[in-house]
Amino acid sequence: MAKKQRGKASSSSKTADIEKPTKSFTLSLESSDDEAPEEVTFEDSKAEALRSMKQALDTARREKQLLKEKRRKRQELFQEQKKRKLLSADVLEEIDSAFSKKQKQSEDEGEQEEKPEKEGGDGKKKKKKKRSGKLANARNLKGKYTVTTVKERTLASFQQQVAEEFIQSRLYGPGTCRTTSELVASPYFIFCQVFYSMTRGDAFLQRFYHLVCCSLVLILSEQSFCVADVK
Amino acid sequence: MGEFKVHRVRFFDYIPSAIRTMAFNSQTERLAVARADGAVEIFNFNDNFFQEKVIPGQDGRAIEALCWVGHRLFSAGLNGEITEYDLENLRPQYTVDAYGGPIWTISSNSQGTQLAVGCEDGTVKIFAILEERIQFQRNLNRHKGRIISLCWHPSSAQIAAGMTDMITIFDAETGHATRRLLVDRATGASKNKEVVVWSVGYLSDHTIISGDSAGKVQIWNGLTGTLVRTYLVTKWDVLVLSVSKDESSVIAGTSEGTVIQFQFISSTVDQHDKEWVRTRTFRNHSHDVSALAHTDTAVVSGGMDTQLVVRPLLDKVEKNTQESALRKIAFPHRSLVGCAKKAGLLLFQFPDRLELWKLGESEGHGKPGDRLPVKRKPEKLIELKRKGEDHICCSALSACGGWLAYSTVSNVRLYRIQYSNTISINKVSKLPKELRSVHQLCFSSDSSKLFASSCQSSVIVVAVSQQECRYLHTLKHKTGSRQPVHLLCASDDGKWLATANTDCEIHIYNLHKMKLHCMVPVYNSCPTTIAIHPVTNNLISVHADQQIFEFSLVQKEYTQWSRRLQTQGLLSLWLERDTPITHITFNPKNLDHIILHDTYMFCIIDQSLPFPELNAVLWNQMTLKSLPVSQRIGQSHAFKICKSFQHLMCVSLLEDLSLVVVERPLLDIMSQLPAPVRQKKFAT
Repeated sequence: MAKKQRGKASSSSKTADIEKPTKSFTLSLESSDDEAPEEVTFEDSKAEALRSMKQALDTARREKQLLKEKRRKRQELFQEQKKRKLLSADVLEEIDSAFSKKQKQSEDEGEQEEKPEKEGGDGKKKKKKKRSGKLANARNLKGKYTVTTVKERTLASFQQQVAEEFIQSRLYGPGTCRTTSELVASPYFIFCQVFYSMTRGDAFLQRFYHLVCCSLVLILSEQSFCVADVK
Repeated sequence: MGEFKVHRVRFFDYIPSAIRTMAFNSQTERLAVARADGAVEIFNFNDNFFQEKVIPGQDGRAIEALCWVGHRLFSAGLNGEITEYDLENLRPQYTVDAYGGPIWTISSNSQGTQLAVGCEDGTVKIFAILEERIQFQRNLNRHKGRIISLCWHPSSAQIAAGMTDMITIFDAETGHATRRLLVDRATGASKNKEVVVWSVGYLSDHTIISGDSAGKVQIWNGLTGTLVRTYLVTKWDVLVLSVSKDESSVIAGTSEGTVIQFQFISSTVDQHDKEWVRTRTFRNHSHDVSALAHTDTAVVSGGMDTQLVVRPLLDKVEKNTQESALRKIAFPHRSLVGCAKKAGLLLFQFPDRLELWKLGESEGHGKPGDRLPVKRKPEKLIELKRKGEDHICCSALSACGGWLAYSTVSNVRLYRIQYSNTISINKVSKLPKELRSVHQLCFSSDSSKLFASSCQSSVIVVAVSQQECRYLHTLKHKTGSRQPVHLLCASDDGKWLATANTDCEIHIYNLHKMKLHCMVPVYNSCPTTIAIHPVTNNLISVHADQQIFEFSLVQKEYTQWSRRLQTQGLLSLWLERDTPITHITFNPKNLDHIILHDTYMFCIIDQSLPFPELNAVLWNQMTLKSLPVSQRIGQSHAFKICKSFQHLMCVSLLEDLSLVVVERPLLDIMSQLPAPVRQKKFAT
């Protein structure tokens, strides 16, 4: 009981210390319901509210600025990388000059081709646009370049391959004990083939030989048992 | 009889394709077999298991499942498409993309109105079967994981679908999954490996039978969703199940090459407590069994070892008759080797290429059985790869060796070959447009005409010459049969052309008048080979039940020899042979000789000698040799059989009277197959 009281006393003294300089705010560690609420003036609370709002705005602005900086830096980095990727300026000039010549030629051709066509003006324009669009992609680059189409692996063939791999892994994958085909030419298998070729079509002979073989196996196994018993 | 110099050819590297799946049509008694290269073969079980039709494969058509609906054949494969086949024109009729990714399984309901396919994306799609096509109806509820197998309940109300680690039962009307049966994984080390339910069967008493990759065959009660019985039959996978029509027997095929039978029988005399009991085990394969069909009397199995095995069930057939004998079909029932007799060339037909070889030469003479030294080795002159995705359907080489033709389902190609200092081969462009879908090709003996069999058993005649290829005529018959022609043969004098179709009809056309001459009386077994004698112009035909007929073309009737043979009857040993005769040739030096061969023997029939008596020994060559010459005449009969060469793909006689024997030993094929499972056998 005494300890508690001491604790209480000490805490109350602490609060008393705090309370003295700041009369307006009460950070009461222990609030009791009997005490009356502290007085807070209107100006004080208004100032406080304004301050907190200003702080919030400031932090938001700062964050925005930071983001902007980050973005700007990133953009610069990308542009630098792009510059590194592109060909040097003089090569591009060359290409441009060659391309512009070609474009003029093909545009003339395009015009000539379209004249005999009897279509509406819009149609012609569209066609021209299309054609120039196509031509814009055509590049006559100097040097030896060949353009080939890569054989498209369609989704269907990819799925088929996945399915085939599934079968392969289930039947021939790890965990399935498979042997080599050489073992197939073992004496047992050769015997089976010879047996079949000798007795093809003759059911009686097949059954006879089958009986003989089964009885032989039985006799042999019985003999081995006898040996085991003796031992 | 005669001594022949024999060219023993073993450089035909023929490898058959693995059997991927099969389906039996009990109405028509036909078995459809799909191979790994996309080819579909139809066997006629009523006609001595003759391979009637072959639809060539296609690159990328990896067939996973086949399904008969009445007389129509559907297949589905990993390319995501459902294909219906035109069995009269031997080609795919149309394909429908299921848009669900690779298709693993296809099954029709018992009424034949709906088709269900199980796809990679986890959906079961239902298609309605209409008159000339199929139409997408709806999807059942989608599940995670691919649908590997499915089976309709006989009432068409439910579908059982086998997936990874479970079996789901769907209600076919609403599409909802009603039950989920969880399949145990394998015990031991492979507990982390998911178990794949490779096959399911749904019986009318709502029993579900499943075979999975852990080697178990499980029997479930479909109404309550509980497991009734588990049988661990193998350490490897159970790849396929097949239920018999009366639902009393189920067979399971495993990766070990065994086929295990389960029967619904009662252990006591009292018939009430029937249960599924494991009964027989059949070990007829060396590699995985991936396809099974359960007919009324037999178990038909096929797999990675490319052989089709028909095992009659001894409780359904009479014992010790030919009906109850084991049948193994390893080689195709048609000739894949063409021989140019005048030039000494051989043409080998593979699905993706043709190879032209020049036979070697040797000198010297020797006694029978000697091996002569080879002076010049045989050499491969041309290897011609096909263009496009379709596999080669048929090929032909002219007798002089100057013309080569092959056809696929989409086009025909003709090549001119010149033999100067170097071989040159030139394609003949601009073929007549009538040469479209061709099933058989044949050159005339003077290499001036090419005969091609087309749709509705008609034959197109084109003239081939140095400059061009010109369409001459189309020969048609009057019976109205729409079945395809599988045999085509021209006479040496250029006057006659004989065709045989799978309706067992043989038609003879007169090429000088370009019209139908006559039709041979229809025999109820399909002809496996036909040939026209060079001098007498008699047509020899051998049928799938091993009967031989000789028909005179000039007189339009069977010859005396043929009538005598039919009256006497062929020996039972001859009739019980299980491989068909695939080629007939004649000896220009001795006009009485007919040389035939099947896979295990070749035979020279001497028409001047008497027929063997019913109790005579058919293979009497060895005994005849041991007799002195004077006594031989009394013992000898018309059939001279030689079994020294096996397994025969072609036997032909060249112009210089040397025999060409193309062998393909079965062991050579076996050694090149993919790996079988490692089994511990005694002393290996």
